[in-house]
Amino acid sequence: MNASIIGQMAVSGALMGLVYALIAYGFQLTYATSKSINFGQGELVMVSAFFSLTLTNLGLPYWAMIPGGLLFGALMGLVVERAGVRLALEQRSEGWILLTIIIGLFFFSAAENIWGRDDRPFPTPISADPIRVLGVDITRLEISVAVGVLGIMGLIELFKRRTLLGKAFEAVSADRDAAELMGISATRTVMLSYGLSGAVAALAGILVSPITTVGPTMASALILKAFSVAVVAGLDSGFGVVLIGMFLGALESLSSFYLGSGWREAPGLVLLILALAVRPTGVFGKAVIRKV
Amino acid sequence: MKRILLLRGAELIVFAFLATIPMLVVNPYALGLLTLLAIYGILLIGLDVTVGYLGQVNLGHVAFLGLGAYAAGLAVTRFGLGMGPALLAAMAVGLVLGGLLALPALRLDGPQFALATLSFAALSTTALNELEGVTGGAQGLSLIRPPVFGHVMTPPLFYWLCMALLAVVWMLMRNLLASQWGRAFEALRDSPIATDAMGVGTYRHKVAAFSLGSGLGGLAGGLYAFNFQYLQPQSYTYDLMIILLLGVVLGGRKSLWGAFVGASVIVLLPNLLSNRHLFQIFSGLGFAMALAAGVRGLVKKTTRPFQALAPVAAMGILVVGGLVVENTENWRKAIFALMLFSVVVGLPEGLMGFLSIFLAKLFRVPHAPLPEPSDLGTVLPSRAADGTPLLILDDLKRHFGGVKAVDGISMTIRSGAIHGLIGPNGSGKSTLVNVISGLYPPTSGRVQLRGSTLPSGSLFRVAQAGVARTFQNLQLFGELTAIENIMVALKGVYRSPLPLVLLGLGRPEERRAQSDALALLDLIGLKDQARTKAKDLTYGAQRFLEIARALARKPDLLILDEPAAGLAHPDVIQQIEIIRRVHQRGISIILIEHHMDVVSELCDTVTVLDGGRIIAEGTPEEVKRHPKVVEAYLGQPIQPELSGDASPLPA
Repeated sequence: MNASIIGQMAVSGALMGLVYALIAYGFQLTYATSKSINFGQGELVMVSAFFSLTLTNLGLPYWAMIPGGLLFGALMGLVVERAGVRLALEQRSEGWILLTIIIGLFFFSAAENIWGRDDRPFPTPISADPIRVLGVDITRLEISVAVGVLGIMGLIELFKRRTLLGKAFEAVSADRDAAELMGISATRTVMLSYGLSGAVAALAGILVSPITTVGPTMASALILKAFSVAVVAGLDSGFGVVLIGMFLGALESLSSFYLGSGWREAPGLVLLILALAVRPTGVFGKAVIRKV
Repeated sequence: MKRILLLRGAELIVFAFLATIPMLVVNPYALGLLTLLAIYGILLIGLDVTVGYLGQVNLGHVAFLGLGAYAAGLAVTRFGLGMGPALLAAMAVGLVLGGLLALPALRLDGPQFALATLSFAALSTTALNELEGVTGGAQGLSLIRPPVFGHVMTPPLFYWLCMALLAVVWMLMRNLLASQWGRAFEALRDSPIATDAMGVGTYRHKVAAFSLGSGLGGLAGGLYAFNFQYLQPQSYTYDLMIILLLGVVLGGRKSLWGAFVGASVIVLLPNLLSNRHLFQIFSGLGFAMALAAGVRGLVKKTTRPFQALAPVAAMGILVVGGLVVENTENWRKAIFALMLFSVVVGLPEGLMGFLSIFLAKLFRVPHAPLPEPSDLGTVLPSRAADGTPLLILDDLKRHFGGVKAVDGISMTIRSGAIHGLIGPNGSGKSTLVNVISGLYPPTSGRVQLRGSTLPSGSLFRVAQAGVARTFQNLQLFGELTAIENIMVALKGVYRSPLPLVLLGLGRPEERRAQSDALALLDLIGLKDQARTKAKDLTYGAQRFLEIARALARKPDLLILDEPAAGLAHPDVIQQIEIIRRVHQRGISIILIEHHMDVVSELCDTVTVLDGGRIIAEGTPEEVKRHPKVVEAYLGQPIQPELSGDASPLPA
């Protein structure tokens, strides 16, 4: 086995892994404020990608399409929050798990009927020609994924640290009840987190679609990996998802090479179950002390 | 008696009717649907164990259906086994793999549990697909039904087999879920911490429940294989899982009838969807129901506006969709989604939950009368209060990072004493009892009960060793009734092994447990509210019930963590009286309390903590005048103002 091929596969895998990391980051955003995540996030990625494709087909240039796609994702995120999460949170129940699954299913079915069941190419002005970096071929497209993922994560982290609204976000994450007593509306902050999470999902869709094509089935393919990344890294670990995302991406690409493409998802799933068993708070997560 | 007759009668009539169907109807299509109904019935009863009783979203059940189906299929095609052994193998695969999955999933709940099961399901689909040498991969696996005792399994015979198995599963599960096991499953859902602290053990019950449910999934899978006689990995995916969840939730959780109703819905759904006209009628009916329920809820103000309106909106979309869309089959997932959404939001108890309230009103069936309470002397035998050392703490420490919550405490609790533990907020009282009762392992130091070292870091094993506790923030099993809360914790009554319980031979024990529990309810003055759900009791009554539940452990040492916190004055007086009665039975008590009058009234000895250390010990009067205690509560004598309390730890 040629070492350069292994390196090549690991690098492309790791760059794909950044997309999983971005979706996992979307889980973290909502988990921070509400201890809930959208189990239909994969469908959100998929419908946003389809919507962006429609915008492109309507003649919108690539760079003008992106804000439109993000806005759509944010709106859908708000729909999920309103229809699936808010009531359950008010009742302090875990009904949101089932409800977000259900909403995802609805999105899936709608996409299937509106845009069809086939995979479609997603046009992009960014070239897919490889550049050689340190003996490994990388395409500009893959670099755009990395830049987009790290860029939006950096922006959101800056927003959380530097703006008043962002600090409200952090306050609700730290202690929801105390934040409410300080006059911060937890409900609005949760809405904000779902909106951001939806926008992040949309960006993930826009970034990954030129590489993988768009189709209804992309939802389930992406979500399992994003779950793995989020759980293995820890749902409250900030940039831990980036490292774990790249690691899992590389692992997946190598295992699909050695074990056959049918097995590509297996390592991530095994890692997920192992992480849950050994360290439910994730590799980078904080241990929680049980209180009574 | 009337209640039992009605319930059993209804079951008997339904099963008798179902058994005669093959003689009345010859339509093979209808018979096929009914066979499927029986199979889904078993499958959903299994799923209900985790979704209903454990209250967890289980996304892996469909994998056990698939694995069971393949186990049975391979048993027949590869090993030439008969149908009976193949079904047993299918069930065993479910039981074993379910148990294995439960081990890592043990510490998890909520989203993490859902994720663990989801990944397991995805993994098993991958395995079935890729292990082509064994399963035939995407090509599928064909099999034929082997004859049973020389009889060729014709469709009616196979139908009878499935129905018979459903009836057996139904009976066994009814016995199990009505027993201590079923209660433990529910207790686990409401408060895992209290389940451990009451010596019931979350560990074994969670594994047992999950493994049992998965075993039923495997059995259903075996039948599924023999029903279709062709297996494909793609049959057992997420889509089917959603439909199964729809069945359980729509039918009604925690109910065998609910599983049956859910199975009927699942079986009929494809027919409903393929006929546009029929679909329009049913969606109209659904809309009318949602509207009626929503308006009723809004007028009576029993539901929130969202809860009333969202199902109406969802059903409205369904109606409009039914009129607009040409081919409803294409939209089946959206239709499932809308139906599930309406049910989860608007009818969380499911059809059977809704119906059972209605039926109970219609027939006015009273509960079976409770037996006479046992003599308190047999439930809680008096024990010698001889003042010998009972619990000895030796230089006990518990640090959280840099915070020394408990920092070297040595003390002795004497047998028969009420030993008070006081101190300002953050002085380490709660951490200390959490270490003693096993919630936290100590950083260093030893705890000895009657001379033997107490297990550390396990609520369950400390509870088994004879220490019972209550919780400052109530940890009752909210969905269980007052009497059931006590029965769950009751020590030394339940002895029947699982097989006898399954066969329904645990009833005498159950009566005895009820009597004993009633005696304890009598002790706290709640005998009249035995059948009230714990969450519906008044706050004071909930505090009393916590004590009664702890007493069901027949403990040597009872730890009361702020039993009077938040109580109104009359309730405080009753609480003092209850504690005094408990004390009279010779039970030693550690009492953490903020009410100084309660402490003065009850305690023989008081230990005062501050900053994780003991600052004073003595009778309540001595302690009150101790200069260090005055200082700890009121601040330095030179600074007369009250010191603000900004300690980072829970009191």
